[in-house]
Amino acid sequence: MSDSPLRAVAPPLVPSATLTRAASTVRLRPATEDPPVLKYVLIAVAVLFLALFLVLPLVAVFVEAFRKGAEAYWTSLQDEDAVAAIKLTLTVAAIAVPVNIVFGIAAAWCIAKFEFPGKSLLVSLIDLPFSVSPVVAGLVYVLLFGAQGLMGPTMKAYGIEVIFAVPGIVLATIFVTLPFVARELIPLMEEQGTTDEEAALSLGAGGLKTFMRVTLPNIKWGLLYGVLLCNARAMGEFGAVSVVSGHIRGVTNTMPLQVEVLYNEYNAVAAFTIASLLALLALVTLALKALLEWRYADEIAGTHRR
Amino acid sequence: MDIRVRNIVKDYGRTAALEGVSLDIASGELVALLGPSGSGKTTLLRIIAGLDVPTSGQVFFGEEDASHTPVQDRNVGFVFQSYALFKHMTVLENIGFGLSVRDGKTRPSAGEIRRRSMELLDLVQLSGLEKRYPGQLSGGQRQRVALARALAVEPRVLLLDEPFGALDAKVRKDLRRWLREIHERTGHTTVFVTHDQDEALELADRVAVLNHGKIEQIGTPDTIYDRPETPFVFRFIGESHAVPVMVHDGKVWLAGQPILMAAGGLSEGPAALHLRPHDVEFAAHAGDALPARILSVRRSGPTRRAEIRLSDVEAVFEIDAPAALTVKPGEERPVRILRGRVFPV
Repeated sequence: MSDSPLRAVAPPLVPSATLTRAASTVRLRPATEDPPVLKYVLIAVAVLFLALFLVLPLVAVFVEAFRKGAEAYWTSLQDEDAVAAIKLTLTVAAIAVPVNIVFGIAAAWCIAKFEFPGKSLLVSLIDLPFSVSPVVAGLVYVLLFGAQGLMGPTMKAYGIEVIFAVPGIVLATIFVTLPFVARELIPLMEEQGTTDEEAALSLGAGGLKTFMRVTLPNIKWGLLYGVLLCNARAMGEFGAVSVVSGHIRGVTNTMPLQVEVLYNEYNAVAAFTIASLLALLALVTLALKALLEWRYADEIAGTHRR
Repeated sequence: MDIRVRNIVKDYGRTAALEGVSLDIASGELVALLGPSGSGKTTLLRIIAGLDVPTSGQVFFGEEDASHTPVQDRNVGFVFQSYALFKHMTVLENIGFGLSVRDGKTRPSAGEIRRRSMELLDLVQLSGLEKRYPGQLSGGQRQRVALARALAVEPRVLLLDEPFGALDAKVRKDLRRWLREIHERTGHTTVFVTHDQDEALELADRVAVLNHGKIEQIGTPDTIYDRPETPFVFRFIGESHAVPVMVHDGKVWLAGQPILMAAGGLSEGPAALHLRPHDVEFAAHAGDALPARILSVRRSGPTRRAEIRLSDVEAVFEIDAPAALTVKPGEERPVRILRGRVFPV
C-alpha cells in the first residue's frame, strides 16, 4: 500500500486492530533510523579501520622513536643534520605557504568573481598538481632547470643553482601545494558572489578597503583551513622534493628525506625521531582545525548563511 | 537631488537589456520601476547607481553628468535585494561602515560615527539591537538595517532593488507603510524596483512601467491604473482579459452590437477590448446587454468572481459580481460592459 510508511510513523492516528498488533510485535522507529544491530556493526567497522590504519601506525612512530629512551631521542634530535633538515623544512614552508596564499586568493578571486573564456580550463589546471604524480612534478623541474635542461645553463651562467639546491625544493613544494588554498576558496567565493563587495563600494569604500574589510573577513575561515592543509603538505612532501633535492646531507635534505636516509642506514631511532616530529605536526594541524571549528562554529556557519 | 537618465542603452552580448531609456526624476520624488523579470528594471537601477556601465547614454545627478563617476564617488544609497549585510560586523558596525571607510579628513570621529549610527538605528526602529549580528535578525529587521546603512552616508539618492522581495506578505505590507513614512521624513529622492504592481501603486509618487528594455508608460498611480497607454500596461497592472472587437463608423462593435465606447483615434478594422473584472456587470434584463453563459463561480474576498463566456463570440473573461448575487455555473445571464480600453491589434 502506498500510504504504509506514513502509518508506520504515526500509528496512533489509525487505531485499527491489525496495526495495533503490528506495533506490539515490531518496534516502530523513524523512517531514516536503522536497526540497532546495523548501527553497532557500522560503528565497529569504522573504529576498527581507524585503529588499524591510523592510530596503530601513529603510535608505532612514537614507540619506535622512544625505543632507546628519551635521551637517545633527544640526542638524535640535536644531530647537526637533523637540525639542518628541520630548518630547511621550515624555510621551505615559510616560502611556499605565503606564495600559496597570494596565488590562492588571486586565482579564487578571478575564478569566482569574473567570467572569461577558458575559465573551466583554468579550474582544471589548478587541480593538476593533485592529479599528477609528485615524482613527475619533480622531474619536470629537473628537465627545466637541470644541467642539460631548458633553462639550466642560463641559470648557471647567472650563478643560480636550482636543481640539487634550495630553490628547486621550494619550486617543487610550491607546485605540489598549489591547489590547497585556491580549492578551499573557489567554492566559498562563488557562493558568496559579488554583492557584499558591491555594497561596500556603493558605500564609498575603495578597492583595498573593500578587500581588507569585506572580502577577507568573508573568506578567512576557508583561507585558514587551506593554509593549515597547505602547510602540512609543504612540510611533509616527499616525492617531488626527493627528485630535485639530490639528498645532500645537512644542505638539501628536508625532514621527510632525512627520515628516509636515516632509515636506509638502519638508524631506526633517529629516523623515527624525525618522523615523530612530522606526525606531531599532523596532530597539531588537526587539533588547530578542530579548535577553530569549535571556537568559531557560529561564525563559520554564519559565513555560509545568506 | 533630481536625476535625469538620457537614452540609456545596455547590451549584454547579443540581447539588449535596455533600448534607449530616458527618465526624469524630480528632487524628493519616490519613483517605482515596475516590470516583469527580464524587463531591464534592475539593470536601469544599477546603471543609475554606477554598479553597471551602460553601453551608451548618460546619467545626470542635478546638473552634474555622473555617467563617468565610479560608484564609490556617486554617493548613492543602494539597498540590495539580498540586503548584502556584512555578516562579520554587528548591526552598528554595518550602519557605520560607509562613514568609517572615508578618507582621513572627511571621516568623522569614532564617537561621531557611533552617535549617527545610533540615530539611524532609532529611525529604523531597531534601537537595542546594535550589538546583534545580521545572522541573528529576522528578514524584516535585516531589511531595515540595510536601509539604515544606505542612509548613513547621506546619499544624494536612495536606490532600492526589490526591497520587499524576500519577505512574507504581512511584513511586506508593514514595511511598505514604514518606508513611505521614512521617505516623508527624510525627503530623499528615491527609486525602487519591484515586480509587484500593488506595491508600486501604493508606495510611489510616479510609476515607470518597463517591458523588454523600454519604458511603456510613466505616470502617477492614477494615470497608470485608469489610463493605461498600451495593452501591456493594461495587462500588467491588475487583472485583465482581452475580447476581440471591430471598429467601424466611429463605433466599437462587439458581437454585432455597438457598445458604449468611443472609438476615437482608432483605425477601422479588428481591435482588442481590454477589460478588468469590475468593468463588466450582470444585467437585469437582456435589452442592450450581451448574452453570456456562466462557466464557474468562486468567492473572492468581498465579491464573487464569475468566469463567463460570451455566447456570440469566442471570448472568456471574468466578472466581479456582488456577493449577494447568487449565480450558478451553467446559467445563462446577459452582461453589460461598463468601461474598458480598446487597443489596435
